Amino acid sequence: MLRNTLLIAKREYLERVRSKMFRFTTILVPIGAAGLAVIGGIGGKKMEAGVQNLAIVSDNPVLAQDVKAALEKAEIPPKTVEVIAPAAPADISQLNQRVAAHQIGGYLVVNEAPGQVTPDAAWISGSATDFIGKAEMETAVSNGLVREQLLARGMTDSQVQALMKDVKLKTRQVKHGAVVDEDTSRSFAGAYALIFVLYGAVLIYGINIARSVVEEKTSRIFEVLLSSATADELMLGKLLGVGATGLTQMGIWAALLVLYAGSSIAAAQGVHGLTSLGVTRAELIFFAVFFIGGFYLYSGLAAALGSSVNGEQEVQQFSLILISPLVASVVLFPYVLGNPASTASVILSLLPPFTPIIMYMRICAQMPPAWQIALSVVLLFASVLAMVWLAARIYRVGVLMYGKRATLPEMIRWLRYS
Amino acid sequence: MDVLVELAQISKSYEEKAAVRDLSLRIEAGSMFGLLGPNGAGKTSTIRMIVGITLPDAGKVTLFNKPWASASLQRVGYLPEERGLYKKMKIADQLVFLGELRGLGAAEAGRRAHAWCERLQIAEALSKRTEELSKGMQQKIQFIATLLHDPQLIIMDEPFSGLDPVNTLLLQDTLLDLKKQGNAILFSTHRMDQVEKLCDSICLINRGEAVLSGGMRDIKSRYERNHVVVQYEGSDGFLSHPAIAEYKNYAGQAEIRLKPHADAQDLLRTAAATAAIMKFELVEPSLEEIFIETVGGRTDA
Repeated sequence: MLRNTLLIAKREYLERVRSKMFRFTTILVPIGAAGLAVIGGIGGKKMEAGVQNLAIVSDNPVLAQDVKAALEKAEIPPKTVEVIAPAAPADISQLNQRVAAHQIGGYLVVNEAPGQVTPDAAWISGSATDFIGKAEMETAVSNGLVREQLLARGMTDSQVQALMKDVKLKTRQVKHGAVVDEDTSRSFAGAYALIFVLYGAVLIYGINIARSVVEEKTSRIFEVLLSSATADELMLGKLLGVGATGLTQMGIWAALLVLYAGSSIAAAQGVHGLTSLGVTRAELIFFAVFFIGGFYLYSGLAAALGSSVNGEQEVQQFSLILISPLVASVVLFPYVLGNPASTASVILSLLPPFTPIIMYMRICAQMPPAWQIALSVVLLFASVLAMVWLAARIYRVGVLMYGKRATLPEMIRWLRYS
Repeated sequence: MDVLVELAQISKSYEEKAAVRDLSLRIEAGSMFGLLGPNGAGKTSTIRMIVGITLPDAGKVTLFNKPWASASLQRVGYLPEERGLYKKMKIADQLVFLGELRGLGAAEAGRRAHAWCERLQIAEALSKRTEELSKGMQQKIQFIATLLHDPQLIIMDEPFSGLDPVNTLLLQDTLLDLKKQGNAILFSTHRMDQVEKLCDSICLINRGEAVLSGGMRDIKSRYERNHVVVQYEGSDGFLSHPAIAEYKNYAGQAEIRLKPHADAQDLLRTAAATAAIMKFELVEPSLEEIFIETVGGRTDA
């Protein structure tokens, strides 16, 4: 039993790992990812830069200075802010020339209209679509205006500053019975990453298993194989072999990521090892367990689906069915995050197709009782074996029937024949 | 003699259709057994029950004098009718893989694969991938894969279909050699004419039932030599002789079936009187004729 399974797994693994396609994607994906990161970084910087040099034109020099101060305190402050107050018509035409010559990005006109509470404010720039920083400028203008009004009503500068302090909301979380500072976006990064990685792995490698099953059906080698090994051995071997290929490739990528996270390049970007990405060791272990369980469960499902079809094209149609529990998990995401200990969340996290993502999410949100985690893992891996069993039955009976796609009742009848 | 395969009244149906009904047969070591019948007669279904791909609904399969067990398959070489190879895998690797699956060590499997490829004159295929080979070469590789582990029982479903005459002969000779070494060979075919001289025993099946089985010589001797082939020049008037039940007249050659217990010598005298006789041969009926006579032309094919 074991010997045949390992032989089949070995064949699947070596044939795949030796293939050009494997080497190609193993190298190309990290290069592509790095390329995207670089392009994203450059693009991001450009966008963040917004308007670098600008001028403020106003009748009221105090207001102009206040707006300047507010702009300089913005999250992404401009490089230079000139103040021209009050401005003569000659100054305006000179500014227009400088905008046309791209010497400054544009200029902000802020004038207090007599008898009106809000001033007239306008942004004049080289391109009408250049609205980046518009919100910041609006905030700066209104902040400057408030300051100016408060000062005009006799408040001191420090009083105004105290009054206009921004409120920053801190988020904290109860973990292991203690309140700890927690960055919410980071806490669930692991759950997001699991969804993303599992989704990708199932779509790429799960479909590979279905393809490999279909290939054996269309090339009709499976009847030869079935006379020397049982369908269970074949399916388990295939699952282990093709699965190991995927795990190898993802392992290489993960190793590159760890290398990157520990490298000086990453340090320059503010990343110091994986832990700085908000991943704890326990989470990493759970991640691995649920990823591998989920990966093999969905791969088993893919093998069963592959066994019931006759051609490559039909595999593609099935990929939607394959990932539907994953999509459902994503839809349930907000609910489970909000109610990690509710009965519905507990039940969902124990259902094998949902276990990987929902249980992992619960672990990230609020540590569930150990027995629930243990039970979910046992159920998950038991369902992998059940799926192999089912796939093997369908595969075996597929020998007898070919030429048309099986309907569900037919497949159930097949199970009886074998 | 060692009985390697014994089927005792096995039956198998799919949906409403009975594929095999109450079929019994025995295959002895050192013999060539032909499972013959038209398309859809139940040959493949029978073979699949011998190799355990399906289980019979009723009846018993005995291999090597033991009730069917998957361990016995290590001594069986099976070439299915619908056969294939991994398209993108190197031939040498495939043969080693299939040999290993049947219990050989990798090195031994590789050595045997080379020896067999030399013997069947396709050593150059070893370093190629399946998709680079012609259909005929692929057939030979499948044939080798079946024999690699030196099985005592060789089961081949339509082994010669799609092969050219030269390669058919090569494979037939190889099977005869294996038989001489004491292996038992079971093969199925719907081309009965192709295998008459190969088989020691046969089982003719039609619509899932054995209609005729036993030793080839026994079966043939049960049927009269009532077929005559005449090569002649001149008048064909002798074809109206009362001994003739039926005839086909080709240019200068007539194939005649005589009435039961008719006098062939009298026909010869009559023919010689009116035409120049080049050849007058009293032949035994072919398997195909026996089959048609037995089932009365009621076939599904």
